[in-house]
Amino acid sequence: MTIPLFHVLILAALLFAMGLACTIAWRANVIMMLIGIEIMLNAVMLTLVGGSSQWGMADGQIFSLMLMALTSSEVSLALAMVVYLHRRRQSVDTDDFNSMKG
Amino acid sequence: MEATLFYILALVTLVGTGFAITARQAVRAIVYLVNSFFALALIFYLLGAPLVAAFEVIIYAGAIMVLFLFVIMMLDLGHPERMKSPRLVDWIPALVLVLVTAASVGVLAAQHHAQPLAAFHGISVRQFSQTLFQRYGVAVELVSLQLLFALVGAIYLGRRR
Amino acid sequence: MTTYLSLMLLIPLLGGVLNALVGRNLPRRLAESLACAAVWGSFVCAVLAALAYRDPEKVVVATWFQAFDLALPLSFYLDPLSLSLCLMIGFVCGLIHLYSVFYMASEADYARFFALLNLFVFAMLTLVLAENLVLLYLGWEGVGFCSYLLIGFWYTEKENADAGRKAFITTRIGDTALMVALAWLFQLFGTLSITQVNGMGFLVPAGIVTALGLLMLAGAIGKSAQLPLMVWLPDAMAGPTPVSAMIHAATMVTAGVYLLARMYPLIGASIVTTSAIAVVGGLTAFYGASCALAQRDLKRVLAFSTISQIGYMMLGVGAGAITAATFHLLVHAFFKALLFLGAGCVITAMHHEQDIFRMGGLRRTLPVTFWCFLAGAACLAGLPLTGGFFSKDSILSALWIKGTPLSEALYFLGLLTALITAFYSFRMVYLVFFGSNAHPHVHHVKSDILAMELILIPLALLGLFGGILDLPGYLGGGFLGSFFGSLNGAHPVEPSHTEELALQGIAGTLAIAGVFVAHVRYGGAARENRLQESLLKPAPLVAFLFNGWYFDALYQALLIRPYQALSRVLWQQVDEGVINRGLDGLANGVGSTGSWLGRWTTGQVAVYLLSFAAGGALLLGYLAWRSL
Repeated sequence: MTIPLFHVLILAALLFAMGLACTIAWRANVIMMLIGIEIMLNAVMLTLVGGSSQWGMADGQIFSLMLMALTSSEVSLALAMVVYLHRRRQSVDTDDFNSMKG
Repeated sequence: MEATLFYILALVTLVGTGFAITARQAVRAIVYLVNSFFALALIFYLLGAPLVAAFEVIIYAGAIMVLFLFVIMMLDLGHPERMKSPRLVDWIPALVLVLVTAASVGVLAAQHHAQPLAAFHGISVRQFSQTLFQRYGVAVELVSLQLLFALVGAIYLGRRR
Repeated sequence: MTTYLSLMLLIPLLGGVLNALVGRNLPRRLAESLACAAVWGSFVCAVLAALAYRDPEKVVVATWFQAFDLALPLSFYLDPLSLSLCLMIGFVCGLIHLYSVFYMASEADYARFFALLNLFVFAMLTLVLAENLVLLYLGWEGVGFCSYLLIGFWYTEKENADAGRKAFITTRIGDTALMVALAWLFQLFGTLSITQVNGMGFLVPAGIVTALGLLMLAGAIGKSAQLPLMVWLPDAMAGPTPVSAMIHAATMVTAGVYLLARMYPLIGASIVTTSAIAVVGGLTAFYGASCALAQRDLKRVLAFSTISQIGYMMLGVGAGAITAATFHLLVHAFFKALLFLGAGCVITAMHHEQDIFRMGGLRRTLPVTFWCFLAGAACLAGLPLTGGFFSKDSILSALWIKGTPLSEALYFLGLLTALITAFYSFRMVYLVFFGSNAHPHVHHVKSDILAMELILIPLALLGLFGGILDLPGYLGGGFLGSFFGSLNGAHPVEPSHTEELALQGIAGTLAIAGVFVAHVRYGGAARENRLQESLLKPAPLVAFLFNGWYFDALYQALLIRPYQALSRVLWQQVDEGVINRGLDGLANGVGSTGSWLGRWTTGQVAVYLLSFAAGGALLLGYLAWRSL
């Protein structure tokens, strides 16, 4: 194996940045925001797997598995909420929902 | 050989993601993303995590992305002309942030000299499973509970009143 | 012995606490009897302790607290001095408690009153019995605190509350000095045990002993109302009369004298200190007597006489005659309690009229009070063969025997004071009891007053025959003298019999002369003239004496006014101007900043996300910059 961990980390960082950019830029569409979050989570998983192979320990992989389980529950709840909100307002624009205004 | 493969796959992942986040249609974004996740799964495999690679394909590319597609179709969001897509102005803060992050990473990278992995330890499925169920038994239980709760919550939110 | 001493303290404490906690809910009779029983129980313990007494004894009951090298045990010291004071306090306070039952019969807040009286007794006994200076200080402050609450007992009137505060603050000046002395003693000797400290005086330089003595003298001056801190005592008359009797006779003011007598083995080594004590005492004695000459309020006359008599005691301590000072302290407790309680009877009968120029003819209305009051006045005046005569004379002869120019000068000052004392005591008697009946309606005498008069009788007997406690040498020597023989420094040189007889003859003659002058000026027909004069504007000298040499006005101008001005500046300029405004400004600034920042919470997820991401980016940037 000749892939340096460092390059894996750079890839993960770039992926993370793209996910972040997606989440921030797509304020008009909550689905795209969620997609951005998925991208970021994948970047994290990449980091964990890279570390796991660097030190030969299974913990990183296990953690990424947990992360996947966590993501699936998060996505199911989030999408259920999107459906719920869309039913109420006929909109997926996050700027339409500001009932938490201080 | 493996290294070349890694760089090609990394390129695919980045390009796929880039298209995904700039796509005007959500459905297209999902398809780009599935593509990118396949490449990512291969990277996982290259990094010696076959199990995670398999789950990536099954759960992410298979289940989660399909869930997204379901919702998009259910809510009838597949019409780009009815959707607001981000204007150029909206990308500015995102780009600034990305630049800051990238610059920081670049700074950190400049001080660090790439060292190839000394000796690769492939992690067998047996080792993985032993660790998972022996050391992290409680965590497995907790995660299963969490999935159950998510299920109940999603049903509660989704039912029609 | 431990049992007796602990019970002696615990019973009044228990009585006070019980009365304070549940006294309101008890039937009145029960609360009253509880208070009286507590003090008498304490007295019985004192008697038992006296019967069991053999030698000076130090009793450690428990450890109070202990930290590093400071060890403060709850220890008591029983020696002739504390024993005799305990007996006196128990007896006199017991009588005063009984008297209060009748005097305060119409007072609604009896539980508070009796609780405080019991606590007062407890604090005084603690002060007297303490072997440890900090324990003594506890009792010292306890006495001050109780007196503050009791002087201001009728606190709804501003004057009374002010009098209480005045007493508290004035004595506090002395207390501070005492506190300094205690801290210094601990620093010097590493212990605060009175017996140990008294035995270690020779270890330190004379100058330090002098300074310690002067600090303790300052404490005693505050507590015992000596010059220049005597201004609180006349105002302390605002409290109920039994309280005045207690403050003046048995507790509180004698504490200062007791402290000096107790510490005499330490501080007596310094001539400067003893001279200062004597000078303060002598001047105060003269000051009090002169002011008493012109007072119109019956209780104020007695208050100034107390100042004067305490001055005599200080004079005795200053002359090194501890026995004589204690002797006078005991006898004075009896006859001053008698006078105050008699005054209480008079005031009750006169329906709370206290001006002696409006009284008269009470000789026929209140015969028992009259005879007892006369006995008290005779003791105060020092008429021959009364207790006051012997005790005062033993102080004066001690001064004369000492033979230094200063003590001789003070002796003559004391003699002059004795003359004045005899004069004003009988001025009081003539104005109050003789002449025609100023108030015709004071005919029916309530049964309460009869009961109160009965209490005067034992005090009158004790006052008259108190001299037996310590007869002069030519009459076979005194009991106190031999009893106190063990006290270090208690025995000055014994005068020869002829010398003593001569001194007593002079004092007796002066006393009789004083009474005679009073008779000429206030007795018989002359009394009416004086009554007429009293309606006119008083002469400057009389006004000067009436107002206590204008000390109050002097302090008002010198201390209180500048202090008030300073407080006003601090309050209006510093507090309101700087601190309040600054805080207001700060609060307003924080408030407006908060509401300005509050606009950030738009409720839009995108804004929150962006902020969160920006924060993360900042952190990351910082880390990258750090690693450069």
